[in-house]
Amino acid sequence: MLLCLVVPAVPQCWEEMLDALDAVTPLVDDARIGVAFLDMRGIAGDTTTWMHSVRNVLARFNVPVRLGEGPNKICAYAATWLGDGARIARGREREMLASVPLDVLDLDDGTRDRLHLLGITTLGALADLPHGPFVRRFGREAARWHEWARGIDHTPLRPRAHAIPIEASLLGEGPIDAQAQLFFALRILLARVCGDLERCGKRAAAVQLDVELDDGSTQTMQVLLASPTASERAMLDVLRAKLEGTAWRAPLVGLRVRAANLEEGGEELALFAGDDIDAQNVAVTLARIEAVLGEPVVRAHTQPAHTLEERFVYTPFAFTVRAQTPEKCAALPPEIVPQLRLLAVHEIEVVVAYGEPAFVGSPKRAVLECAGPWRVEEGWFAAPVVRDEYDVLLDDGELVRIYRQGKHWYARGLYD
Amino acid sequence: MVHRERFLELKRRLTSGQLGLRSPVEARESVGVPALDRLLGGGFPSGALATLEGGPSSGRWSIAVRMLAQATRRGLAAVIDEGELYPPDLERAGVRLDRLLVVRARSPLALVRAADLLVRSRIARVIVMPAPVLRAALWMRLAGLAYRSGIVLLVIAPAHAAPELTGAANLRLGCALDRVLLCGSRGVWCMLAGFDVRVEIRKYKRTASDAHAYVRAVTMHEGVPVRERAIGRAVLSAVGER
Repeated sequence: MLLCLVVPAVPQCWEEMLDALDAVTPLVDDARIGVAFLDMRGIAGDTTTWMHSVRNVLARFNVPVRLGEGPNKICAYAATWLGDGARIARGREREMLASVPLDVLDLDDGTRDRLHLLGITTLGALADLPHGPFVRRFGREAARWHEWARGIDHTPLRPRAHAIPIEASLLGEGPIDAQAQLFFALRILLARVCGDLERCGKRAAAVQLDVELDDGSTQTMQVLLASPTASERAMLDVLRAKLEGTAWRAPLVGLRVRAANLEEGGEELALFAGDDIDAQNVAVTLARIEAVLGEPVVRAHTQPAHTLEERFVYTPFAFTVRAQTPEKCAALPPEIVPQLRLLAVHEIEVVVAYGEPAFVGSPKRAVLECAGPWRVEEGWFAAPVVRDEYDVLLDDGELVRIYRQGKHWYARGLYD
Repeated sequence: MVHRERFLELKRRLTSGQLGLRSPVEARESVGVPALDRLLGGGFPSGALATLEGGPSSGRWSIAVRMLAQATRRGLAAVIDEGELYPPDLERAGVRLDRLLVVRARSPLALVRAADLLVRSRIARVIVMPAPVLRAALWMRLAGLAYRSGIVLLVIAPAHAAPELTGAANLRLGCALDRVLLCGSRGVWCMLAGFDVRVEIRKYKRTASDAHAYVRAVTMHEGVPVRERAIGRAVLSAVGER
């Protein structure tokens, strides 16, 4: 018999919960986050005892769970829909599944809507449909749904793969109070971690550093690498760059380095790497700049919007291998393109004559040419913004973007 | 004898360019604008600290952004920004935004430290930065780093750049707005179509210091120059004529 465990509120500690379930049965199938199947065949006890054991080992996580029992996966899962602790007995599958809603099948929205239009809302109604016409109408997948609705499920259990932590730690060697000592210790730890990674044929996309301080506290730092690697040097460079901007409250007494975000396979290398950008160098530089300036290097994205300040956003710069490969770029414009430089928005004095700005600023500068106004209206549903924007050429040669909002005038940008 | 022959062979290969090695002084980063490339002898010299000097609205940033557009076609470029960057115009100028590192630095010290890190890392072919007030030694250091790294460090400076900067710069270009191009008659029918910039060489050991060129900046809208799209009479407004 199988037990199905459903955790409605998907917890952060899902992996830890699955580890704990190893105490109940040797075969745990991690179906998806929040749903697991436990093979209870050969385990001493009955349904009540098994469910009690499961609840006992999960009690420390303090999350609500639902349990169900059945002869196969669909029945065990459907039992959790019938109620916590429900049981579907062998030989009575179809009868007991009849009242379970269709949602248990995890159908796509389109199929569910079509079935609802036909008045089919439960597994019982679906099981009553003639198999052949139903499959012809809904496709090959429908054969499986029909079997499930009748309580037939031959899907085998897949034992969960246990994640092997690749880590190394250094404790009890005395406090580290100099940066050189820290880097020396890191180099030793990374050498061990990278050795383990190579032996496992894996590479890490991130490194997690746990630091134990003399005052008893622990700090954790996750450092993303430019590309998954098993190179000790590459990891050390990025870690050093990150640590350059880090201040510790107390001397360090313990270090633990763990390879995170593991991937299979070796490292990608270009055959002709002469002019390529070194991804690791980029990652180290980005980390160093972030450590020095306190904010990450960013890249800009443009987006459609009416107001100037909403036409772009910045996100942290992420270097991809694609960025270094030569691509066919669109041709550049034949001439240079005027650039608007955004000024900090400040109110200015504007003298209007014949409906147009005539003098701008203080002291007054005459407007030689005026383009606009272009009306910008936004946010009518919440905080209305109504602006009239102008490009003006001033008598001292400055090309300025100004706008009027209400009765006030503001300078927004300068062409340069 | 064998060593000598090998040395001569190596020298011959080096001088004939078979190894593909280039002196950083000889390599150029083309601007892609014929008039400016001719003025500079093929483009900005790699490994140079170059200044673009001029007042507000003198077209310095338009030229610098063109360099960024050229650089991002082949690799990464960087710009140190004080919060004045307007990315939609960068995109119109052909800059690949996914290859442009924007470093936001608020103070002169942060700005120069960011520049130092970027230049030393050699990840970007072109770095554009504003001109903070710095000691001459710092500018000299940046110039030396740029030379060794073989990248172009473009500094956007005011019309009267500080002597500490001008002393360290290998190449100084003065920019001035020559005339403004408007499209349409007036008011809502009128648009900025572009402007002409007079670029003169103020300091460069390979060109006479009074050499100059005119570069036109053309406003682009959806990839098409504004003058070709706008309806109405084109008005040429020359600042100098008024």
